[in-house]
Amino acid sequence: MSTILRFLADLLLRLLRSLDPFLFVALLCLMGVGLATLYSASNESVRMASTQGVFFCAGLFVLWLASRVPAHVLKQFTPPIYAASLLPLVLVLFIGSGKYGNHWINLGFFNFQPSEMAKLTLPMMLAWYLDRQRLPPALGALPMAALIIALPVGLILLQRDFGTAMLVLASGVFVLFLAGLSWWWFVAAAGGVAAIAPVAWFWLLRPYQKDRILTFLNPESDPMGAGWNIIQSKIAIGGGGLLGKGWGQGTQSHLDYLPEHTTDFAFAVLSEEFGWIGVTAVLALYLCIIGRCLWIAADSRDGYARLFVGAWGLALMVYVLVNGGMISGLLPVVGVPMPLISYGGTSSVTMLLGFGVVMALKARRAIHR
Amino acid sequence: MQRRGRQLKNHNAEADLFRRRALVGFLCVLLALGGLAAWYFRLQVVQHAEYATRSEANRLRLVPVVPARGLILDRKGRILADNISAWRLDAVPERAGDGAALLAKLQAVVALDPEQSARFLREYKASRPFKPVTIKLRLGDDEAARFAVDRWRFPGVELVPYLGRVYPYGPLFAHVIGYVGRIDEKDQAALGPAGSAYSHTGKTGLERYYDEQLRGKPGYRRLETNVDGRTVRALDTEPATPGTDLKLSIDLDLQRAMVAAFGELEGTAVALDPRSGEILAMVSLPSYDTNLFVNGISHADYKALQENPSRPQFNRLVLGGVAPGSTIKPLTALAGLDSGLRRPEDKVLSTGVFRLPGMRGRGWLDGVHGWTDARKSIYESVNTYYYRLALDMGVQRYDEYMAKYGFGQKTGIDLAGEIEGIVPSPASKLKYAKQRWYPGDLVNSSIGQGLWKVTPLQLARGVAAIADDGRMRRPHLVAEQRAAFDAPWRPLPQPPAVDISDRPGNVQVVQEGMAMTTAGSGTAARIFRGSAYGSAGKTGTAQVVNRRAAAVDPRSLPLWQRHRGLYIGYAPVDDPKIAIAIAVEGGGFGADSAAPIARKVFDAWLLGKMPETPVAETAAAEGAVVVAKPDFGNVSGSPDATPAAPTVPAR
Repeated sequence: MSTILRFLADLLLRLLRSLDPFLFVALLCLMGVGLATLYSASNESVRMASTQGVFFCAGLFVLWLASRVPAHVLKQFTPPIYAASLLPLVLVLFIGSGKYGNHWINLGFFNFQPSEMAKLTLPMMLAWYLDRQRLPPALGALPMAALIIALPVGLILLQRDFGTAMLVLASGVFVLFLAGLSWWWFVAAAGGVAAIAPVAWFWLLRPYQKDRILTFLNPESDPMGAGWNIIQSKIAIGGGGLLGKGWGQGTQSHLDYLPEHTTDFAFAVLSEEFGWIGVTAVLALYLCIIGRCLWIAADSRDGYARLFVGAWGLALMVYVLVNGGMISGLLPVVGVPMPLISYGGTSSVTMLLGFGVVMALKARRAIHR
Repeated sequence: MQRRGRQLKNHNAEADLFRRRALVGFLCVLLALGGLAAWYFRLQVVQHAEYATRSEANRLRLVPVVPARGLILDRKGRILADNISAWRLDAVPERAGDGAALLAKLQAVVALDPEQSARFLREYKASRPFKPVTIKLRLGDDEAARFAVDRWRFPGVELVPYLGRVYPYGPLFAHVIGYVGRIDEKDQAALGPAGSAYSHTGKTGLERYYDEQLRGKPGYRRLETNVDGRTVRALDTEPATPGTDLKLSIDLDLQRAMVAAFGELEGTAVALDPRSGEILAMVSLPSYDTNLFVNGISHADYKALQENPSRPQFNRLVLGGVAPGSTIKPLTALAGLDSGLRRPEDKVLSTGVFRLPGMRGRGWLDGVHGWTDARKSIYESVNTYYYRLALDMGVQRYDEYMAKYGFGQKTGIDLAGEIEGIVPSPASKLKYAKQRWYPGDLVNSSIGQGLWKVTPLQLARGVAAIADDGRMRRPHLVAEQRAAFDAPWRPLPQPPAVDISDRPGNVQVVQEGMAMTTAGSGTAARIFRGSAYGSAGKTGTAQVVNRRAAAVDPRSLPLWQRHRGLYIGYAPVDDPKIAIAIAVEGGGFGADSAAPIARKVFDAWLLGKMPETPVAETAAAEGAVVVAKPDFGNVSGSPDATPAAPTVPAR
């Protein structure tokens, strides 16, 4: 009996050996918080929470699967993976659906959001390319790097999904940053954005996007219309106080004042029910995850692993910052989810898959130590 | 590890570079997440109170519980203004969608006229998304049933039960009770936040004067509502306080008898109990159906009312000023006695002509009455007696006495918008006629002609004061009130009576003069011949058009140019139980038109002789065959003070 048990334990250990325990536990904690929030935000809908649970299980499975892939194989297949991820981005322009543009491909059982995949494949591809260059990257390497970034970002912009495009762009920029691209480039880019902003305002932005920015600047100007979301969200967050109203006790979400409270505004539900203590705890979890990513990256001897894992961690920070800032009126409204807390299949699975890749890139070293 | 470096790669340098950048990155992360935590700290801890308040305001809604409006009853407890449960149709904008499309769809189920539709669309557009807007009040039973069947086709439209107001006697009490109408923005603002509880508010009459008591106090239900305004659960309830019921001193039967007594005539009459000031009956004819106004009157109906030359909506009782004509004489006589200028037995010779001292020309014509004392001056209505008296008294003293008898002052009746009227004086003539005062004006004033303007109510109060030995009281409609159905009736306190004369003997002389009006050679003798009770009175005729009326037979004139017939009186003469003042439009001589009405009302009240067929309550609304152009509001023909002043028939 004990031998069987020992055998099983041994097997489990071997199976889970590829996982980074620290990262894995932190992710599980976050997913638990996410499910709890979602259950409350969906008015105690078991169906919604269990659907998300299924996504999480699928995500954990791909995480485990990805973590077992040898690093060199991952690296080798990076260009085809990147190319393959561009394909649905093109497809979605023709057969997609969505609220403000063509964001999703309806697969029957769920809506697949190709732009989420780009968040993962773009930094992989860029890391792959830059790893083949001498670092810090020379001027000659930049056009190719720019192209690698521009392809998915451009395609997502064509979907009129400005928010996701910026996040994908950010993940690319982080790779360049970690690769040691000169500070001057970043200064120049910031200057360029500042110069282009007025042009964008008058010619490029859609009316709804302008609305969002105007609303961000003064939400009270149209409290029943465009400003409604942000006002209700701030009321939810502020009403939560230090300790929160308690799980399932949030009035803003339960009485439907808070819009989109299972997706983009899920973190506001969490803020209302668990208060500032809860918010801080979740932010601390994110900090641990990001810090662990950077630690794994810094510890790696492989340039590709370093660049991808580091950029993946920093990108996570941007997702958290943009969503957390957006729902609290700190940043303009862009439709981006809070990683692993907002309801969403593609984003959750992609997120976990990304961490699987992170573990694969780390695990390889650990296994062969 | 690096399998195909095209250029020479310095792995250690790259790793160092990465670590430096990663460190910078981590510091950025710390800063970003720390900043975010700080921002949330600001929202959740520093500004918590503000957001918590707004969160509660979101969640909780106070829904008013509308109280039942107080009933209005007559003195025997018969209901004159009632509440009936009815259905109305409300639409909530955010759920019902486009208003015009909704109406188009509803047309098939519920009859809507264009005015209702227009009003609804206007309010619908201005309403907040979750606030219901009324499409139609008082749905018919068939309409309500039809809608109930088709309800599923109209999301956001609901049948709402409410209490509607009905006036079972419609036109019979139009000018007494008035009506409630749909509440408007102005009423809403006046009522403050509680105003949203009410759909109707008192607009005229008692409904307006006693609106505050009648409407009660709304209660509240505290509800937790979701963003659609739908109730999640009720938290607590504060019950509504129902409106106060009012019991009038008016008697329904007497009111009916009074209207019947007018027959086809127009005008006003007020009957009150001289012992208390309680109004027993009070009409202003023609009248109109107040029920038309409760749910919003249609343009057609309103136009008909507005274009009726008799102006049914005009409340002649409190708004219509008339010249009192000879009905002022009893009080003028009393002024003469009280001032000491005349003793009851002092006589004046009536020759048929009266001239001011030093005046040439024809002067004032009058009947030939011979030697006339105070009593005879009343029952034969001798003008000369008063001409002389007024000249002896002077305008100032004359006006002081008239003010003492309540003229030029509101009676204080519990109806809104009462006018004060005008007592002729140099100041009022300058003000209203823009002319200076001549001694001849005083001569005219002494017999109730000229610049006078008194309301029927003032006349009634005056005659009631004579009947009650000089005690003048406030005429009032509401005798008692009760806070609830099972609460006891409580009388409303009334101000104490005021003595209008220092010497009761003087009032008695006037009473005797008035009593003889209905007997012997009195002006109303033939009207009261054979009555089972003794009565006292005074006829009067108010000149409407400034012309030599004596030269023309008044009956040949169109109604509006004819003189107004007046009568004041009380009965029984030894123990007065009822006093009355009547003004008949175009009635000519008061003895012909107004006095018979008084007789019928007295008979009804004292002998219980009610009209055989009760008047159809709505008949008055249609208005009689009337070409009249009543001019109550204007100062009736003030004669110039030229020597050729018109002669006025005194009978």
